[in-house]
Amino acid sequence: MKDFKLDNHPKINSGFQVPDSYFDSFPDKVMMQLPEKESKVISIFRNKKVWITSAAAVLILALMIPFFNPSTVEEPQLDSTAIENYLSYNTNISQYELANLLDKNDLEKLETDINIEDKTIEDILISNNNFENYIID
Amino acid sequence: MQEEQDFIKELLNPKTQNDAFQKLLRQYQRPLYSHIRTIVLNHDDTDDVLQNTFIKVFRNLQNFKRESKLFSWMYRIATNEAISFITSKAKRNGMTSEAFQQKQIENIKADSYFEGDEIQLKLQKAVALLPEKQQLVFKMKYFQELKYEEISEILGTSVGGLKASYFHAVKKIEEYVTRN
Repeated sequence: MKDFKLDNHPKINSGFQVPDSYFDSFPDKVMMQLPEKESKVISIFRNKKVWITSAAAVLILALMIPFFNPSTVEEPQLDSTAIENYLSYNTNISQYELANLLDKNDLEKLETDINIEDKTIEDILISNNNFENYIID
Repeated sequence: MQEEQDFIKELLNPKTQNDAFQKLLRQYQRPLYSHIRTIVLNHDDTDDVLQNTFIKVFRNLQNFKRESKLFSWMYRIATNEAISFITSKAKRNGMTSEAFQQKQIENIKADSYFEGDEIQLKLQKAVALLPEKQQLVFKMKYFQELKYEEISEILGTSVGGLKASYFHAVKKIEEYVTRN
């Protein structure tokens, strides 16, 4: 077998091929990846940390807004019974003053048919010391 | 030499840097591509390493010591990038660099960007079996056709050491091709 001698053999190329126009586009490909020239004025907003901190501060303020707003919650509707109870138990308004506040319509509404036995009426009059109030002039 | 010094000044001056760097790219892309390709073997990997090499060159322009030539400095960066690339890829595949490169060569016929005939393929296989340093020296001398002095500047090895490495590499290749 004939010994292979590298020097005696014509130059053997690597066999590697390069895609067409690879070298045409390569310089631009690299230039696009290079860092841009930094301007002299460095905006604080280039700093990621500033963005994150600012966002966090805004979020905290936003969450606190409800606590500073006056309450716009609707007040619960008080029914007339609750108001009456309050007035009777918590105030010093006399029955006379209350009666003065009632107008004719209110009085008509208050009128009900009460079926009371005469005996019951007698008992009330006897027990009540202020029965003169019931004598209508 | 003066021409190179002027060019280096242009590369370091922010006003002229971009134009000068584009010139550098056009001047060195092909030789550096070939150099890297002989080490990493496939085109896509070479493309990655070549880009990284130029980006590293750009970033380190300020650190370039003018005692060595621009060409040697860039080749050194390219060599280191290529070897690091092979080492980490081999590691990811659980192999040594040599074993990985041999595997790459076995598959090289399937590579659409390899159009070697029988002897070219045999030569690639023979080279892949060499120890790493001998491989590098052989590739730079035989495929890249660099001078011993240039290789010495790039690898930091003496010319004598390089000649010895090359001699041993050639012997082993010749034995392999003869046997196969």
